[in-house]
Amino acid sequence: MHRFFIWLARVAAIIGGLVLIVLVVLTTLSIIGRTLNKLMHSGLAESTLGSLAQWIIDLGVGEINGNYELLEAGVAFAIFSFFPICQLYNNHATVDVFTSALPPKALLFLRAFWEVVLSVTIIFITWRLYEGMLRYIGNGETTLFLQMPVWWSYAASFAAATVACIVAAYCAVMRVTEAATGRTILPEH
Amino acid sequence: MTAFLDLLPFADMSRLELGFWSFPVLLGLIFLRAPIGLAMLLCGFGGWYFAMNGNPVPLLAKLKSETYTTFSSYSLTIIPLFLLMGQFATLSGMSTALFKAAESFLGHRRGGVAMAAVGACAGFGAICGSSLATAATMGKVALPELRRYGYSGGFSTATLAAGGTLGILIPPSVILVIYAIITEQNIAKLFLAAFIPGILAALGYVLTISLYVRLYPNSAGTRPPVPMAERWKALGNTWPVLAIFGLVVGGIYAGWFTPTEGAAIGAAGTGIVAMISGNLKWPVFKEALLGTGKTTAMIFFIVLGASFYNGFLALSGVPQTMADYVLSQGFSPWFVLAIILTFYLIFGAVMDSLSMILLTVPIFFPVISAMDFGMSSEHVAIWFGILVLIVVEVGLITPPVGMNLFIINGMDRETKITDTYKAVMFFVGSDILRVVILVVFPAITLFLIP
Repeated sequence: MHRFFIWLARVAAIIGGLVLIVLVVLTTLSIIGRTLNKLMHSGLAESTLGSLAQWIIDLGVGEINGNYELLEAGVAFAIFSFFPICQLYNNHATVDVFTSALPPKALLFLRAFWEVVLSVTIIFITWRLYEGMLRYIGNGETTLFLQMPVWWSYAASFAAATVACIVAAYCAVMRVTEAATGRTILPEH
Repeated sequence: MTAFLDLLPFADMSRLELGFWSFPVLLGLIFLRAPIGLAMLLCGFGGWYFAMNGNPVPLLAKLKSETYTTFSSYSLTIIPLFLLMGQFATLSGMSTALFKAAESFLGHRRGGVAMAAVGACAGFGAICGSSLATAATMGKVALPELRRYGYSGGFSTATLAAGGTLGILIPPSVILVIYAIITEQNIAKLFLAAFIPGILAALGYVLTISLYVRLYPNSAGTRPPVPMAERWKALGNTWPVLAIFGLVVGGIYAGWFTPTEGAAIGAAGTGIVAMISGNLKWPVFKEALLGTGKTTAMIFFIVLGASFYNGFLALSGVPQTMADYVLSQGFSPWFVLAIILTFYLIFGAVMDSLSMILLTVPIFFPVISAMDFGMSSEHVAIWFGILVLIVVEVGLITPPVGMNLFIINGMDRETKITDTYKAVMFFVGSDILRVVILVVFPAITLFLIP
C-alpha cells in the first residue's frame, strides 16, 4: 500500500521530468535551427557556400513551429506532476522557528491539520481545473500556431493533478494516523 | 461553509480594511507552520471572497484558469529549466574541477583552501541558480579537503555556507528572475547588474577569511604550493563552466534568445557535460529529475499562492495606499530604503528568500519607485532588486534558521552548529558591509548597465 503511493508519486515526477528534458531538447534544436537559418540567409553564406546555403534553407532548417506553445503546455503538465512527490517528501516551505518549542505530540497534530487543509486545497484546485477544461472543450478554442485545442493541455494537467489529489489524500490520512499513533510513516525529505 | 465564513468579522469590512487585516492573518498562519504557499492561497481565497461581499462566484470563475495560466506562463517556464540546469551542474563534475583549479592557485596561502572554496562557489554559481544547491554541491567537494588540511570545523562549514550564497547572486539566478517578473524589468539587465556585486561578495569573503585566520591562527593549516604547470592545467579543465556561462548569459544579453531559451540551452549544456563525465547513469539521472521536481513544485506552489494573494492585495488598494502614505510623510528616500532593507535582514532570518520576495516586493516596490533617488526609474528598479537579493540571501546564513548553515553542518558530524554560528557571523558582517557600500555607491551595481 505505502509502497504503491511512493511509486505513484515518483513515477509521476519522473514522467514530468522527462517531459522537461524533451522540452529542453526541442527548444535547443529550435534555437540551433533558427540561428542556422539566419546564418544561411546572410550575404556571407550566399557568397561562400552558394547553392549549399539555399539547399540548407530548402531542407526546412529553422525555428520549430509552435515551440513556445509546447513549452508552456509541457511545463504546466510537469509542474502538476511534481506536486505529489513534493507533498509526499514534505518539501513545501514552512517557517518552523515559532512552533519548534511545542511538545512533539502537539507538533504532530499541527502538521496533520495543515496536511489535511493542503490536501483539500489541492483537490479544490483540481476540481476548478476540471471545470476550466470543460469550458475549453465547450468553446473549442485552439492555440495560435499549432491549432492545438486548448483543452488538450488542460486535460494533460488535469491528469497529473488527479495523481496529486490521490497522493494528497493519502498524505492527509497518513499524517493524521501519525498524529494519533505517534508512529512515523511518511518519508522525511 | 459560506455560512461559517460570513460569521467572521471580515464580512463587514471595506476592501482596504480587508487588505490590511490580511497581513496579521497571513503571518499568523505562516508562524503556525502552515506551508507558506498554502497560507498565501488561503488568504487570497478569503480576500477575494470577502472583497466580493461574500459572493464565491468570481473566485470560483477565476480559479478555473488561474492555476493553469500561472503554471504555463512563458516567463515562469524559465524556473524549472534553471533548476534542471543546476541539478545537471551538480552532476557535471565541474564542482571538483573548479575547486581543484582554485585550490592549486590559492591553497598554499594562509587560509588558502577556504579562499579556494569561496572561489569555486563563485564559479559554480555561474552555472547554478540556487544557493542551496551550490552550498550542498561545493560542500561535498570542499569540506573533506578543508578538514584534511587542518581547517577548524566551524570555520570550514561557515565558509561553505557563505560561499553557497554566491550561487544565487552570480547569474543565472532564480530569485532575480522572479523579481524581474514582479517588477516587469529586463532579466538580462538584472543578471548583468548582479555580476559586479557578486564578484565583490566573493572578494569580501576572501578578505573575511584572511582576517579570520589572523585572529584565530589555529583555525587553518597549511599545504605545499602546486607547481605552476599543474595550476594552468587545472584551470584549463574548468573551460566548460566558462563556455556555458558565456553562452547562456551572453546569449540572453545579446538578444540571440529569450531568457527561457537561454535556460534551456544551459540545461542542455550542463546535461551534456554531465553525460560526458559519465556521472549521468539512470539512477542518478532519475534522482536529478526528482530533485528538480521537488523544488519546482515547492516554488510554484508559493508562486501560485502569491499570485492569488497579490491579486487580492492589488484589488484592496493596499500597495497604493501605503505608497501614498509614505510619500505624504516626506521621509528621505534613503531612510525608507534603510528601513526596508533592515526589515528584509530581520525577516530573512526566519523566512525563505523566494516567499519574502513574492510577498513583499509588490508592496515595497511601488514605494521605492515613487521616490526620487536621482536616478532613472529603471536604474532604481535594478539597483533595488540587487540590494533586496543580497539582504534576503544574508538570511540563508544568519542563525538560528539559515538553511545553508543546516545543509553544510549536516555534512560534518563532528562540528557543533554553535561553532558554525560563531564563525559565520564574520561572513554576515562582510555581507552587511557590502550592502552599505552598494547602497552608498549605486554606480557599482549600475556600472555595466547602459
